[in-house]
Amino acid sequence: MGRYILNRLVRWIPSVFILLLLVYALVFFGAGDPIKLIFLQAPGDVAYDPARIDAIREAAGLNRPFLLQFWDYVLNVAQGNFGNSLVSGRSVNAMISAAVPVTLKIGLTAIVLVSVVGILLGVIAALNQNKWLDNLIVGFALVIWGIPVFVAGPLITVFLVLVLDFDVPYGWGGLFSTKVIVPLLVIGLNPMALIIRQARAGVLEVLSEDYVRTARAKGIPNYQVVMRHIMRPVLTPVVSQIGLLVIATLNNSILIEKVFGLPGLGRMTETAIKSSDYPVIMAIVLIFSIVVMASNLLVDISYPLLDPRAAAKKTEDE
Amino acid sequence: MTDQALLLPQEEKQFSLAKDAFIRLVANRLAIVGMVLVVFLFFVAIFGPYLTPYDFLSQDLMSRNQAPSWLHWFGTDDLGRDIMSRVIYGSRTAVIVGFSTVSFSLVIGIFLGALGGYFGGKIDAFIVWLIDITMSIPSLLLVIVINVSLKPPLVNWMDAQYVATGNQIYRNTIWVDFVLVFGSLALIKWPKAARIIRGQILSIRNKNYVVAAEALGVPTSRIVRRYVIPNAIGPIIVYISAALGEAMVLESSFSFLGVGVRPPIPSWGNMISDGLRIWQMYPHVLAAPAAVLAIVTIAFSFLGDGLNDALNPRQWK
Repeated sequence: MGRYILNRLVRWIPSVFILLLLVYALVFFGAGDPIKLIFLQAPGDVAYDPARIDAIREAAGLNRPFLLQFWDYVLNVAQGNFGNSLVSGRSVNAMISAAVPVTLKIGLTAIVLVSVVGILLGVIAALNQNKWLDNLIVGFALVIWGIPVFVAGPLITVFLVLVLDFDVPYGWGGLFSTKVIVPLLVIGLNPMALIIRQARAGVLEVLSEDYVRTARAKGIPNYQVVMRHIMRPVLTPVVSQIGLLVIATLNNSILIEKVFGLPGLGRMTETAIKSSDYPVIMAIVLIFSIVVMASNLLVDISYPLLDPRAAAKKTEDE
Repeated sequence: MTDQALLLPQEEKQFSLAKDAFIRLVANRLAIVGMVLVVFLFFVAIFGPYLTPYDFLSQDLMSRNQAPSWLHWFGTDDLGRDIMSRVIYGSRTAVIVGFSTVSFSLVIGIFLGALGGYFGGKIDAFIVWLIDITMSIPSLLLVIVINVSLKPPLVNWMDAQYVATGNQIYRNTIWVDFVLVFGSLALIKWPKAARIIRGQILSIRNKNYVVAAEALGVPTSRIVRRYVIPNAIGPIIVYISAALGEAMVLESSFSFLGVGVRPPIPSWGNMISDGLRIWQMYPHVLAAPAAVLAIVTIAFSFLGDGLNDALNPRQWK
């Protein structure tokens, strides 16, 4: 078990490093000169004096070779310093630490809710296989899987405000304010389809197992069969989806936070993209990738806890 | 000619498999609804711009933000442009991006997947690692970074080419947007195709009929044609259908964020983003492109699900 976790960690670190290199190279060779970008974005007529630009570049160490600069960046990031925003000049760290809690709270709540409701719906669907309830849930899953979040959000808002005459849910009032309900619903909607499908498929697979038939034959009440023999093995395929779930939630938060006026990482991303604020973009890419990779790692680690057979098979594969 | 004789029954079976799949697909009502909508989308994307009475760019400032009417079925936007014409032109954007993304990701995926599956060993391990890494990257963000960072140098390069050669081709930078969007999407989407191909090759290598064919001296190219492709075609078709839908959604997401295809070229994404500014007064500006995008993605979802059930009967329980 310890070796298994170590094995995963050892694989994880180079992936993060390579991602860092890739993103840095993209920005370094693609985006162009950061000094010029600063000058272009400075308000008014700033004297465009090549000698002065060269001096600034020299002072900032931006004329050194790529690898040296990359190494500096890695060292800074390793110490938790992401530099300053090109647009506002604020430290990226401060911006991020203000935005992370919002996205984190909403994202985590959405993931928990989606998993619970999704598993429930999936199990209900599978237990009623090919009846109308099953068809309804599967159809529902297909529909919510299809609708992208930036379509669902606005459409739901238009519906709420114009048809039902509700208040516009806008802004952030903490996790327990009622404003959070609609964004939560919208962010969780299409990832939920994933969970429903997995849970349903998992239950259907288990239902035909011998031990379920034996349990039924012994006369164990239905809910006990479901809770003990069916729910547990179903958790494994669902947990395997958590990495995808995290990606979907993060993507959704990028797309939807503006719509609901949430001051989170997603909105920060959006503004940073529009103003080509590369230090901010890079910090966000890094944070998101680390979160995603960490959740994948968590999934890998929790596998053997849920299903020892899976762990044995996985170590065999390698 | 012995192998020819041996292979003949296989061919008959293929035909009946396709027929079976078709029958199963037609029996699935939702899938048929999806298919009809998708075919309609392609039709509109190809011929739509010739059928609309308005140009998607022509502004009519006297009739701004008009509600839907017989004159403008979906109404007009804040510059008096006909929303229906724009939605129709947006379908063209979506279909172009969708098809290019899927073809490029298929080429990359099939090549790398086949490489890994065929050679095995270290090459395979490397490709599996590449697949894992690509799948664990938050795709939306990486594509955004690629788009944002590669656009300026590409546009600069095209400007320089125009100055140097005077060729008009280099003046139109809209194509840069398209190329960047589907190029970067293909870089994200290939792992699924690679997985399918690699898995098929690995599983088929040890099948007795392939071993037998190899022992009989059937050339590799024929084994690929007769066994690998027929086995992989089902999952690949399902992949194409799903990836088309996903690519269109992603294309809209980028335009929605202001990264991908930029105005004035209409994309459903940038129309939704425009609509968000004024939906309180004029909900139709937002609702029309949003509803169309929702219908299209649901159609792909239905079709993909139906294709999956029809083409992969082995997954049946």
